[in-house]
Parts: sequence; structure tokens; C-alpha cells
Amino acid sequence: MREPPYPTELKPYGRALVDLARRRADVLCLSGDLTRQTEVDLFQAEFGERFIHGGMAEANMMGMAGALARCGFVPFVHTFGVFATRRPYDQIANAIAYPNLPVRIIGFMPGVSTPGGPSHQATDDVALMRALPNMTVVDVADAVETRQVVSAVVDVPGPVYVRLKRGEIPVIFDSDHVLRLDRASVVVAGTDVALFASGMMLAAALAAARALGACGVSVSVINVPVIKPLDTAGVLAAASPSSVRLVVTAENHSIVGGLGSAVAETMAEAGVGCPLRRVGLRDTFAEGALDAPYLFERYGLSTAAIVETIWSALGCSGAPPAVPVAAAGGGEYSPV
Amino acid sequence: MPVRSATLDPRELALRIRLRAGRRVAPQGFGYLGQALSSAEQVAAVFGAARPGVDRIVCSPGHYIIGPFAAAAELGLLSEDAVAGYGQNGSAVEAIGTERSPVVDYTCGSLGQGLSAALGFALADRFRGSDARVFTMVSDGELEEGQVWEAALFAAHHRLDRLVVLLDANNSQVDGPVDSITTLEPIAAKWSAFGWHAVDLDGHDVSAVCDALGAAAAERERPSVLVCRTSTRHGLDCLPPDADGHFTKLPPSLVAAAERELTGQLEALGA
Repeated sequence: MREPPYPTELKPYGRALVDLARRRADVLCLSGDLTRQTEVDLFQAEFGERFIHGGMAEANMMGMAGALARCGFVPFVHTFGVFATRRPYDQIANAIAYPNLPVRIIGFMPGVSTPGGPSHQATDDVALMRALPNMTVVDVADAVETRQVVSAVVDVPGPVYVRLKRGEIPVIFDSDHVLRLDRASVVVAGTDVALFASGMMLAAALAAARALGACGVSVSVINVPVIKPLDTAGVLAAASPSSVRLVVTAENHSIVGGLGSAVAETMAEAGVGCPLRRVGLRDTFAEGALDAPYLFERYGLSTAAIVETIWSALGCSGAPPAVPVAAAGGGEYSPV
Repeated sequence: MPVRSATLDPRELALRIRLRAGRRVAPQGFGYLGQALSSAEQVAAVFGAARPGVDRIVCSPGHYIIGPFAAAAELGLLSEDAVAGYGQNGSAVEAIGTERSPVVDYTCGSLGQGLSAALGFALADRFRGSDARVFTMVSDGELEEGQVWEAALFAAHHRLDRLVVLLDANNSQVDGPVDSITTLEPIAAKWSAFGWHAVDLDGHDVSAVCDALGAAAAERERPSVLVCRTSTRHGLDCLPPDADGHFTKLPPSLVAAAERELTGQLEALGA
């Protein structure tokens, strides 16, 4: 794994989808008036005959995608995550999830990664999609996983929701990293705390583990790219009281219904009696910002917030360790 | 989708749809009979026009599914056992259409969604170079859902000319007459303005519906909509004038009268 500041890539998803379309004539691309923003201008340029402008009409777009999937196509539907889930929820439920059709819903701009206000922030998309039977929910962490996610999901038998960061995508993993849809993977081993992270929070989780490690708190970091179906065996192995004293989840999403809830449900049903803390939006909308880093700090999604959460939950004395923020230059990414 | 074409005269098929729907609703004493009464001629016309194994049938309002079930049973496409399970516990033949519903290519109890599915079918057919038609039953109440108009815009923009909507304008929704709740008129002019070939006709004149489907087939460049003016009591004079068109009560006292009335009409037809 790399160290921050991380290099970034542009359009890893868009390029991967084009690569897939070259191999697969059954792949279609639908866009809800966010073609460049969802990186599928690349698809449109090369496979215009398989590109469909859905326009600003998400309900209709989901309904069409379902019927196209019934006819043997594999539609990839693109818009921002918030518009892909809240607006056409009933259409996804009835026209895609219930008939268990292979529609791939690609929702960009997760959580508070946009200062566009609550209307633009997908802060409950994981919860909404996770509640639908048959749905697979994916939240990948970096460009290496993003490049692989397209091929990884194309042949999943049912519907898939993929949440993707927009813009400059950090490269966190080494190039030999393999994205697995059936595995939550321990990327850092530790003995005191199990820290589960998904999507954009992986970088902050790694930074928090590093800062705590320097103070003698040993944190294992588990990357959870698939929130449903959750790798419950992997979660329980990492969260067992025989291995750690504290379990923490970190997600760029509401603490209601997402990764934190999924881990909590798994632990509770297995009778794991380990303290749990959930880092995420604390049942609130996120207002007021010029940039995303401000929102990550203000709403408790920063590296420092993870460190403080763990520090206090463990009952450590004194001030929590300061978090050195790696300065990110142009084209680089560093978590807040 | 039907595996063979209708061989019955559409007038007779429409009557038999009403009779079957009445018999299926009778054991419960209530059900979605009004929808079958208003749409019987449209269903009969569709089952006569749809090419088996080629064309598609979408029943957007799941509450209308008894009509296609009844037609399929009359045409030998659905077993008597299956129809007998209509609305019973454990049966795949549910009273409001579901994914398990036989006969049609798409139906949904959450209203206003079927036209989008029809567009998906039409696009898929176009991608594959097929000239298959997509017959889409839609109800006037569904026009209150925004998704229908999203779909209407898309269909016209993409010139999905193999698409035809049979719009059952029965002026009935749960809370009462549609026109007492939302002004939809002028319905045909709205669709015309959206770029559709729109015709307004008597939905109980089965010849007119069949002819309009034929004219729609000849349309190039535009999708078609047949605004079928109908009544949820049509063909059953024994129903009280204020019968609930969405969820019709058919108490035992009315069952025998309804059976007599419909079998009488069939005999008069020489069937």
C-alpha cells in the first residue's frame, strides 16, 4: 500500500467501462444528464450507438434500464448517487430489485464529498440500497479498485449499486491489489482496535491507525468494499473480543443504515460483546461549505475524528495524538 | 406474451373477459372488476393484434391484470387451474400484478411505471433490428404520475413508432372520478403536444379499437396513443350507478344477475 499524499487518477471508471464495452456487446450506458461528471463521455465517444441519454428523468431511466435488462442487455446507469437512489427508489424496487435484474446503478459523488448541499449529497444511498432485497452495494476505496469494479460487477446475477468518488481519484493500493466482492480485507493488522472503513474513509482510517500506532494503540484496518452482502465471517473474525477491545466503523454516509449498522447487526446477532463506535454523519444533513474537506471536518468524518473516537472509547488519558495532515499538492490526494 | 394469436371474434372475447373477471371476483364478493369492464375491448383487441413470440404486452396498472389473465384463459394460453388461483393465498396469479404474473411481459402494482418498461422493450427491439410492437395498457389515473410524462417525452424524442399505448380513460380512481380530482383534459391534445400520434375514440367500440391499432402500426416516426373512452360499469347494467370503479363490490345477490346478463349477451352474439 502507498503512503499519503496519494497520487491521483482521472476517469479510472470511465476508462474501465470503455474497456469492458470493447469486450462486451451487451453492455449499454445510460446517463441522467451528468455524462462528463460520471466519466461516461468516454463511452459516448466510442460507443455512441450504445449510449442512451435518459435526461433529467431518473424514474423513467430506471424503468427503461430494468426492461433492457429483461431483454438480455447489461445496462450501466449513471448519475449522482443522491439522484440515483432517493428519487427513483420505488422504480428501482419494483422494476429492478424485485425482478432481480442485472442493472448496474453507478452513483457518483458520495456523502459529503461535494459542497453542493444536502440536495446533492448522497448521505443515505447505502442505507436505501441495502434495504432492497437482491441488491449488492459496493463502495470502493481508490482508483485501483475503481478500475476493477466494472469487471467485478458486470456478471453479478442481480442488481448492483456502485458508489464512486468523482474527480481526482486517489491511488492507495499497489497495482497488484485485487478487489474481491466477497471479502472484507484486513489491510493493516492490529491488536487493540478493529477499524472497518468503506470508500473514501479508507484513507482517513489508515492515517488514524498510523497516528494511534505511534502512541501505542494498535489498530487493524479492514477495507469493506462490499456493504451488502457483507462478509460477515470476515467482520466477526476481525471484531471478536478475543482479538480486539474496540470495534469502530468509518463511512462517508449516515451512521443509520450503512456500514456501521451492518457491522453492528452482524456483531449483535453473533453475540459479540465488544464496544462499538460508528464514525459517520450523525443523523444530520450537511450544510454550508466551499469545499469537501470543511464538511469532512465539521461533520466528524476526519482522521482526527476517528482518532478521538478511538482514544476516548478506549479510555486513554490525556489529549489524543495530533494528526499530521500530509499536504497534498496539485494532483495529489490526502484525507482530512 | 401470447404464444398464439386470438382466434375469437374480439367482440366475443371482450364479453368472455367480462364474464371470467366477474366469476373470479364473485367468490370474494369484491375486486378489480371495474378495470376489466372498462378495458375488455382494449384487451381483446391487443390479444388479436399481438404477434405471438414477437410483440410484447405491457399491463402498466397491475390492478388491470385480470383482463389479460381472462383473455389468455379464453385463448388457451393460461390453464384453468392457474386462473382459478386468482387472488388466492399462495397463488402466483395475484390480484394485483406481480413479477410472478403470467401472460404479460411487464406489469406493476405501483402505478405509472409500465410505460418506462415499454420504452425499454422498444429500445431493446430497436437495438436488435426487430420491428416488434409494444402494446401498452395505461390507465387515465396513471397520468397523475410524473413518470408517465417523462416516458412520453422520451418515446417521442426517440421516435419509438413501434410503441402503442391503449389509454383506458374510464374516469375512475380510488378517491372518485378522475376529473373531480385532477383535470387531465384535453388528454389527446396533451399527447399530441408531446409528439405522439393520438386518437380519441369510444373504447367499447371494439372495431374502432382494432382499426386504431392497425392505423398505429402504419405510423412511422411517432409513437401512438389510443385514448379509449370507457366506463367501469360497461356491459353490466345490473351494477348500481354508483358502483366503485376501482374496487367493485359484487355481493351474492348481484353475482347471479351479472352471470345472466353476460351469458345473455353472449347468446345474443350467437356465441
